[in-house]
Amino acid sequence: MIGIIDYGLGNVRAFENIYRRLNIEVRLVRSAEELEVADRLILPGVGAFDWAITRLEKSGMNEALNRRVLSDLVPILGVCVGMQMMGTRSDEGNMIGLGWIPGRVKRFDETKFNQRTHLPHMGWNSVEVTQQGSLFDGIDNPQFYFLHSYFFDPDDAIHAIAYSDYGVQFPAAIRCDNVWATQFHPEKSHHWGIHLLKNFADKT
Amino acid sequence: MSENLQICSNCVMDSSDSAITFDDRGVCDHCNIFYQKIQPNWDTREKGARELERMVDAIQATGKGKDFDCIIGMSGGIDSSYLVYAAKEMLGLRPLVFHVDAGWNSQIAVNNIERIVDGLGLDLFTEVIDWEVMKDLQRAFFRSGVPHIDTPQDHAFFATMYQFAAKHRVRHILTGANLSTECIRNPLEWMYYQSDSRQIRDIHRQFGERPLKNFPMTSILWHKLWLPYVRRIKVLRPLNHMPYIKLEARQLLMDRFGWQPYPQKHFESRFTRFYESYWLPERFGYDVRKVQFSSLIVTEQMTREEALKELATPSYDADTIGQEVEFVANKLEMTVGELNACKTMPKKTFRDYKNQQEIYVLGARVMRALRMELGGKR
Amino acid sequence: MLRPRLIACLLVQNNGLVKTVKFSDPKYVGDPINAVRIFNEKQVDELMVLDIDATVRGCEPNFDLISRLSTECRMPLSYGGGVKNVDQIERIIGLGVEKVALGAQAIATPDMIGRAAERVGSQSVVVVIDIQHTGWRQRPEVVTHNATRRTGMSPTDFVRIIESHGAGEIVINNVDRDGTMEGYDVAMIGRLCSKTTLPVTVLGGAGHLDDVVDLWRAEGLVGAACGSLFVFKGKYRAVLINYPNTEEKKRVLSDAGWLE
Repeated sequence: MIGIIDYGLGNVRAFENIYRRLNIEVRLVRSAEELEVADRLILPGVGAFDWAITRLEKSGMNEALNRRVLSDLVPILGVCVGMQMMGTRSDEGNMIGLGWIPGRVKRFDETKFNQRTHLPHMGWNSVEVTQQGSLFDGIDNPQFYFLHSYFFDPDDAIHAIAYSDYGVQFPAAIRCDNVWATQFHPEKSHHWGIHLLKNFADKT
Repeated sequence: MSENLQICSNCVMDSSDSAITFDDRGVCDHCNIFYQKIQPNWDTREKGARELERMVDAIQATGKGKDFDCIIGMSGGIDSSYLVYAAKEMLGLRPLVFHVDAGWNSQIAVNNIERIVDGLGLDLFTEVIDWEVMKDLQRAFFRSGVPHIDTPQDHAFFATMYQFAAKHRVRHILTGANLSTECIRNPLEWMYYQSDSRQIRDIHRQFGERPLKNFPMTSILWHKLWLPYVRRIKVLRPLNHMPYIKLEARQLLMDRFGWQPYPQKHFESRFTRFYESYWLPERFGYDVRKVQFSSLIVTEQMTREEALKELATPSYDADTIGQEVEFVANKLEMTVGELNACKTMPKKTFRDYKNQQEIYVLGARVMRALRMELGGKR
Repeated sequence: MLRPRLIACLLVQNNGLVKTVKFSDPKYVGDPINAVRIFNEKQVDELMVLDIDATVRGCEPNFDLISRLSTECRMPLSYGGGVKNVDQIERIIGLGVEKVALGAQAIATPDMIGRAAERVGSQSVVVVIDIQHTGWRQRPEVVTHNATRRTGMSPTDFVRIIESHGAGEIVINNVDRDGTMEGYDVAMIGRLCSKTTLPVTVLGGAGHLDDVVDLWRAEGLVGAACGSLFVFKGKYRAVLINYPNTEEKKRVLSDAGWLE
């Protein structure tokens, strides 16, 4: 069963709908007890970094979530700010991240842009997969929807499994053992996103 | 359930149609009516071609100097799609493609309309039914317990087309109704006359929640007598007079226009898909595929064996039907529980509500006597 | 490479979809839920839903409708109409909407843009500028309440205000071109785009995919939003939801010089 962590941020319903259409058992998770039953987790997120961390702490799930991910090794997929929260710190705020993957969340360097538009990075971008398998299995010419001004830069480049290009190359997806994350929104990326979410359910 | 049903030895109609009768060879009355009454009088060759010629002459004469010479109701399904093609390319007509949006169009339907209209360089006119009114009337039909809950949609299609023709003085309406794929009709108890406005008003009066304002209404006397004989607006079925083979038509539309096929007849509407593939068979035991396949069997477009094989599997996808039920409930602003309650409530028929059946029976008798109608509903 | 967005824009009034001409004469075009289902299957880049009743009537956003829309929507969704405070924005984002658009309220209390961005992130805060050419000199002016109220503000000034308060996107909505299908006012758009580095989406005037090509050729990475173009067909303005398929979209992008 896939548990979608519902702490008041992010499009939990969109994930739920996709999994239900795929006939994959899915449930919104709102408490520490409910975290125990899920064998895969999704951590969505939109908004500001500090706000997201605060909301997660207030949900009362933080401790149980850390245990499920770090000791029970439950596969988890972070999305957008859900990905950024997995890092150590963020340029966007002062709070400490979950720290599951060592790295820092950075703002795009606007001096590097040669186009008029700067931030946020908004729209459909192509994704170059550098570590094949699992999440991106069988996805042809991947295109995904992005909406962000910050990106996760892992300390160890080995943790980046796909890149995208917006003035600079930045990690579009990362992985460390059972922890997976995408900067883009698979739940809003038509068939590419549905395919990726199915892969997360079947192949991780 | 199906083990107890007697099946016709020629087609696949069976005693789930309670009015069915079998002769001593086990052949049903649907088949016998077809072979004795319809087939001998149905010609798609010389006689048909002459009939088409007469039609075309009349249509062109009345359409002279106008933007279009007739209207064709188009749902995006195969019959209406092929008819539009045939009217323009084979008959040389200048039809206005007329579409009624009742709120349940599928992507395939709108795609098909767009491909055909663009591919033939025709103009399209769409009438959009007020969804709040349609929703209320559809809910009322669910709550009434009758099988013919497709009535609001179907009624709106025809009423809107008649009203348009009357208002804009269009003398000819072409429809895709045809003998080739529809010579065996749904039994009356499965699908009562959808044009019966008395029935609609009574069901709405008992179960509707808002006024039937803006809902397009017709009545049998208006469109069967007033329009054709006083206003001289005729409804024509050209597909009955030309060779129309379903599989060939489908291939032609796909190759030529990028038309997308449907898994089953009438699936261009999401509602009809839900209703015919799930609601009717599950609640009433009526599988309209039996009627559709039987038409294809007697017109030699399908074998009885092929039909029986297909009928062995349900017409809906068991994996996704739960979501489909949820979608229909959501769209009608009902809860899934409420919709399911409608599915298990006591069964009703058209006889439980006010109706004009006598007029239809009388009308059908007259039409058959005048040889204006072959076969027909029973 | 990031490519420009081709956005379908739907207007809501009394729970139904409508399409206006120059912000007037709303024509009923059907049920929003079914339209979203069809746009899903057509794989639209992004969907923008604007409730044109809420602000004028002074009522709250219709949260129930927003929730039903976002539940069906499998593409990014932005919502605008009647949004007055940060709590409403947060609630709408919580319903599964990606971006919330402000209109009249962003003029009345521009600092709300920043307060909203602190909560939901600037990327989710959009400001819609309704622009009409007014007065005997026909100068562009910012208008509100379905173009029934003039603000006396020039769009350029407003763009500066929006950017300084930290919005994530600007929607330039051209009242004079709305529903006319005679093409975008590319010159006016160009003048405004040069004043900001924020992502810009333009709305009002698209009548053909070639209008989108012209816009992208001139302005590059801007979102092209279309109302009439994706709901009407032909000379009778027949309601028929449409959107370019993969090949047609590729053609538009390459005609605009976007693909190799």
